[in-house]
Amino acid sequence: MMQELITEDRAADRKMLFMHLYQQAFPLVAKYVRDKGGSFEEAKDIFQDALVIYYEKLVTSNVELTYSERSYLLGIAKHLWAKKNKEHYNHITLDDSLTGIAMEEPGTTASDKLLNLLHHSGQRCMELLRAFYYDKLPMTKISKLFGFSSERSATVQKYKCLEKVRDLVKEKSLSYEDFLA
Amino acid sequence: MRTSLHNIQQIEDYLLKYAGEADQCLFEARLLLQPTLHDQLLWQQKTYAIIRQYSRRQLKAEIESVHQHLFNETEHITFRRKIMALFRQ
Repeated sequence: MMQELITEDRAADRKMLFMHLYQQAFPLVAKYVRDKGGSFEEAKDIFQDALVIYYEKLVTSNVELTYSERSYLLGIAKHLWAKKNKEHYNHITLDDSLTGIAMEEPGTTASDKLLNLLHHSGQRCMELLRAFYYDKLPMTKISKLFGFSSERSATVQKYKCLEKVRDLVKEKSLSYEDFLA
Repeated sequence: MRTSLHNIQQIEDYLLKYAGEADQCLFEARLLLQPTLHDQLLWQQKTYAIIRQYSRRQLKAEIESVHQHLFNETEHITFRRKIMALFRQ
């Protein structure tokens, strides 16, 4: 189906981006983490978190990089490593653009349960909401990607999805006691 | 658009700061007068947080699949060896 192909293309674009960034920047980050006494697994975790931050920065601000992508990713990785090992924190000088960026703590068991539920039962809605709120795609593009007849109907569907997810969040928060306490 | 969706839109305009200053003030007045609207606002905020968590989880899964590809496919063996050499005892 055309709609699926276009959606897959977006994922393919991201895959190409991450493949490129991995090849360009992971050796640098791995060497940095190794020099600080870290393991391969730690380097991998730090780098993957740095990629998430980089992606979010890219879609939210259309940032024009002063440095190369790999220097930028190394900068984020150093920041994350410092955060992980607070005793070294004062030795790191951060670019101003990095302040305010912080990864969230891993989800609680209850919010994991909810995320799993949303993944399995409301995937189309979640993908629509992800495209708008996280990937920051314009409604014109979302409308085409998801096969809506107009921007207006895509917008209405977005609100319907938001309502559906909100009601589920509300309902499940009553049964998952520690959820979003 | 039905009323419940209209409320969601107004809450969104307020939370994501799409509304102008006058509309923001007007909405704040409504929040004071309508406790249920305030309640809806809090749930909507939590929903945005869940959407972000979901999206990050999906993105991380995509990144992990790139990692697996680079570290398991023979075409990338040079890359893999270069990295693993760094961590050899």
